[in-house]
Amino acid sequence: MGALTDVLEAQGRAARGAVLQAGFCVSVLGRSIACLVPDLRRRARFVLDQLVVAGISPLPVVAIVGIFTGMILALQIGVELAEYGQGERVSDIIGVILFREMGPFMTAMILTASVGSAMAAEIGTMSVSEELDALECLSIDPVSFLVMPRILALAIMAPFLTLVGNVLGVLGGAIVCRTQLSIPPSVYFQNVIDSLRTSPDSPFGILPEELWSGTIKSVIFGVIIATVACSAGLKAQGGAIGVGRAVRGAVVSCFLLVIVIGYYLSWAFFR
Amino acid sequence: MIELRDIHKSFGPKAVLRGFSLEVRAGETLVMLGRSGTGKSVTLKMIVGLLRPDTGAVMVDDVDVAGAPRAALRRVRRDVAYLFQTGALVNWMTVRENISLPLVERRELRPRAIRERVDESLASLDLLEAAEQFPAQISGGMRKRAALCRVLVQQPRAILYDEPTAGLDPILSRTVADLISSVQKTEDRTALVVTHDLDLAFSIADRIGLHHEGQLVEVGTPDEFRQSQHPVVRAFLDGKDAQTQGARP
Repeated sequence: MGALTDVLEAQGRAARGAVLQAGFCVSVLGRSIACLVPDLRRRARFVLDQLVVAGISPLPVVAIVGIFTGMILALQIGVELAEYGQGERVSDIIGVILFREMGPFMTAMILTASVGSAMAAEIGTMSVSEELDALECLSIDPVSFLVMPRILALAIMAPFLTLVGNVLGVLGGAIVCRTQLSIPPSVYFQNVIDSLRTSPDSPFGILPEELWSGTIKSVIFGVIIATVACSAGLKAQGGAIGVGRAVRGAVVSCFLLVIVIGYYLSWAFFR
Repeated sequence: MIELRDIHKSFGPKAVLRGFSLEVRAGETLVMLGRSGTGKSVTLKMIVGLLRPDTGAVMVDDVDVAGAPRAALRRVRRDVAYLFQTGALVNWMTVRENISLPLVERRELRPRAIRERVDESLASLDLLEAAEQFPAQISGGMRKRAALCRVLVQQPRAILYDEPTAGLDPILSRTVADLISSVQKTEDRTALVVTHDLDLAFSIADRIGLHHEGQLVEVGTPDEFRQSQHPVVRAFLDGKDAQTQGARP
């Protein structure tokens, strides 16, 4: 009975901690939005720095993952479809899957692992070494100084990286289709373009639905990753162990949020 | 100028301050001695509003910091600067950027005036050569000086020093002590220094107090403090930790 009570108590504490952290994330996001317009000009340099960190440094990884994702999709789907004499349809499927789901999702995973973890570690280290307290003493709001530029940078760079990943994924698919499935590139690319639908009801005019829905998803994922990572860093305490805990918590939370929110966004866009 | 009245503060089950009271008069240098982990830094953080007491009042001039609105707190933080134990410089900014930071954020001076004031401050602490380096590229002593420079450039009325000589070798400790002493004398600033470094305490203090078990057990001039017969003070001065732990005021 005692052991059961201990387990329940621990679960309750963990649940309470998760709810409090979620509330803190929402508050950090709200404060970041509130200071965006008034503080953007004087934080422009930090935003530019973060654009480079968030956009340029993960670019090689996004490129490699994008190409090979396209190649794997082409190989796995193409071989199966070829058995039914539908090999050329592989390009339609690659276009739709990459632009709707895989592009935003895999870019978010890469950003979580590379940029989000670094954000949590940087701000967490500042927290445990009293640098955040020092900023408070200088009457500098850490959210405006550290968090807002990171959220803005990731909101801008996530869709850019997603687009790069998508384009390279399509190219990777084209290589496999040409070399393994004997589908001419002209047919492949035409099918990919045809697969991206434009709808007269689209809120973004002639932009294909797959493109704008993927872009919106990427922006939301970028905001989530930066907010969760920075919030975890701001709450870090207890030296190196505390920083490690903050990074681990941020990465796990981002993975879960990206996949759960990704599903609901897909449901909202394509149901 | 700074007054703490009957402060109680606990972290979970651990009571750190138990009816702590202290007055720092304008223009004086008060040194608060005490063993590590007795709540000295907690006291300093309350004065600048980084922590709130459970009960009691923290007054800076006429402002009760504990319940002060943001604007009043900002005014208090302009008047009372905090020198952190680790320096707490922003590690991705150069020494010059760190020192300019409070002035840039206040947006009261033009960039040229900021640069002049920062250069003057850097020169006064012999830091001009390190101005374009990052905190990780300079020595511990230089980091302390850079942090002090960031404090001084704000021209505060009072400075809270948190273990200013911690982690420094005896020669650097002496240098920092001389620096604090010269800053206090030439500028006539109020200072509250938290340390367990007796040499530092006796070289810079106008008054010395001992922090023990959540209270200030003795306050007096350096001579009065040295001659105190209070058992906790005697134990501390004689370096008898076991007695300090066991002694009761």
